[in-house]
Amino acid sequence: MGFRALVVIAWQGILSNKLRSSLTVLGIVIGIASVITLMGIGEGAKKEAEKQVQSLGVNLIYVRPGAASNASISQGQGTAPTLTYEDAKAVKETCPSVDEVAAQYQSSYQVQHGEYNTSTTVLGTEPAYPEVRNFHPVNGRFFNADDMKDCARVCAIGDTVKEDLFPDESAVGKQILIRGELFDVIGVMEKKGANQMTDMDDQIFIPITTGYSTLFGLNTVTGQAVKMVLARAKDGQDLQAQFQITNLLRLRHGIKSPDQDDFQIRTQMDIMQTAQSITGVFSLLLGATAGISLLVGGIGIMNIMLVSVSERTREIGIRKAIGAKFKDILWQFVLEAIILSLTGGLLGIALGMLGSDWIGRFANWTCIVTPFSIFLAFAVSLAIGLFFGIYPARKAALLDPIVALRTE
Amino acid sequence: MAENVVQLEDISRVYEMGEEPLYALKKLTLSIEDGDYVAIMGTSGSGKSTLMNLIGCLDRATEGRYLLNQKDVFDLTDDELAEIRNSTIGFVFQQFNLLSSMTAIENVMLPLVYAGVDKEQRTLRAQFVLQQVGLDQRIYHRPNQLSGGQQQRVSIARAIVNKPRILLADEPTGALDSHTATEILELFDDLVEQGITVILVTHDGEVANRASRIVRMRDGQITSDSRIRSKKNA
Repeated sequence: MGFRALVVIAWQGILSNKLRSSLTVLGIVIGIASVITLMGIGEGAKKEAEKQVQSLGVNLIYVRPGAASNASISQGQGTAPTLTYEDAKAVKETCPSVDEVAAQYQSSYQVQHGEYNTSTTVLGTEPAYPEVRNFHPVNGRFFNADDMKDCARVCAIGDTVKEDLFPDESAVGKQILIRGELFDVIGVMEKKGANQMTDMDDQIFIPITTGYSTLFGLNTVTGQAVKMVLARAKDGQDLQAQFQITNLLRLRHGIKSPDQDDFQIRTQMDIMQTAQSITGVFSLLLGATAGISLLVGGIGIMNIMLVSVSERTREIGIRKAIGAKFKDILWQFVLEAIILSLTGGLLGIALGMLGSDWIGRFANWTCIVTPFSIFLAFAVSLAIGLFFGIYPARKAALLDPIVALRTE
Repeated sequence: MAENVVQLEDISRVYEMGEEPLYALKKLTLSIEDGDYVAIMGTSGSGKSTLMNLIGCLDRATEGRYLLNQKDVFDLTDDELAEIRNSTIGFVFQQFNLLSSMTAIENVMLPLVYAGVDKEQRTLRAQFVLQQVGLDQRIYHRPNQLSGGQQQRVSIARAIVNKPRILLADEPTGALDSHTATEILELFDDLVEQGITVILVTHDGEVANRASRIVRMRDGQITSDSRIRSKKNA
């Protein structure tokens, strides 16, 4: 018999018990909607993480002192600083693929203005910092090369620091005390928020040269240590830049084999990959949670189909008596299950998209429904109908017509 | 002489229940000619329903040979039997056995659906047989909106819609009042006149007396077989 006739028969079966069919569909709707929404949240988290990493600045290469962690024994971290301001200068001067460099050294100090005081991070760096970090002053200015040369006692302060020390007045042009040393505030930075582990707004920026001569108290004999060198590669030359910096530092530090490296290099790409793998796990967990509710929905379909088969035993007997074959009965019930689960799937996709939209709008969380997750939800609901429908349908198709006809 | 449409030879149907095998039919032999009108009578437990099920290819014999239209059906698969039920046999039950979720005409069309007839043909054919059984109104009503007599007419229409050779009726008037029962039995007379072999199972002597031949059963065997009038369209 024709496929269309079978669909009509299956549809009549569904309509014969509307309440039960709708409740069954509801189970699938909830399952699919949660898959769509939770996958959307996972996808949103991924995009959010990418955006944050991007906002740290593009084409960035981070050089930190310390042995690479891939050697089982950490080497070369003696008392002498392994990465110095001289290294940073050399990178800037000799690596052709590097465009800008900002060395940094930071430490925590008590700072004070009038009756207000707070403890914050003082970061000594170079004029290229705002450019490299993509982090600019909104008021006043950042320090420049002249300030560096003069070891000027000037600073730019982050938004949080500004709120702490100058709650009711503008900060530019005022003076603050950092560990008892007087500094002129020349700029206030834009609000950037926290990324990874640092609160970008809770910092004070001073010329690194001033830091060395006044605050950091480093021994000039062993060289001026830096905690990080930020290098920005020229567009499309990340790998070359990374390679040049590595070679330069090995040469300068007299390192012969890569296990003896006393610095670590990470690129924006590495950080992005780490972030992606974390959010990937996050998505997977969310997806698995949703998958369980979908499984429960599927078992609901099987349950209802089994009830339906035993309730309609007589109908099956009648159909067999007038000539329905094994496949006719099998398909009738499988199609019923598939129609139920596909209806649930489509409604679930719609509800999930609506839910994602709401979460995006009211919970202030990026929630992205991808075509892939829609396709997946559709395929899964089809598969559920088929998988959970076959057993009850087989049971129906194998019924003995005489026994079935005798059933009340 | 007309050929035998049903030919049962030494048929036994045994149910394994506990230790003792139960013989519902015991070495039964019966032939029914094409176009005959046969009533099978017996008390409950006499094996008449089992015999009906066997003739209707709903059940299989444990032993013996069954030729339906000269063809041995013993080795046929379930699906092949389903096809025979669809094309050769029509069933009429005491409880009508209509599908409650479908309208009268949809019920009548159902055998044609399984036979793979297209929708237009199905509708035409169903309308035709519904008229034939005297139901030209209320054909778009569901069974629960029809009277018992109307429901039985629908079920007869369903039985004959695919032009079967044999009509099997199991207590077709058992659930009807005597006036309606007479009307239904008149319908059977018409069908016999059209050449359909009608086999009727009943315990009602009055109903049986309308047939041409009465077969009486007891304990899975035939106790008497008498022709009370000659075949109508002999």
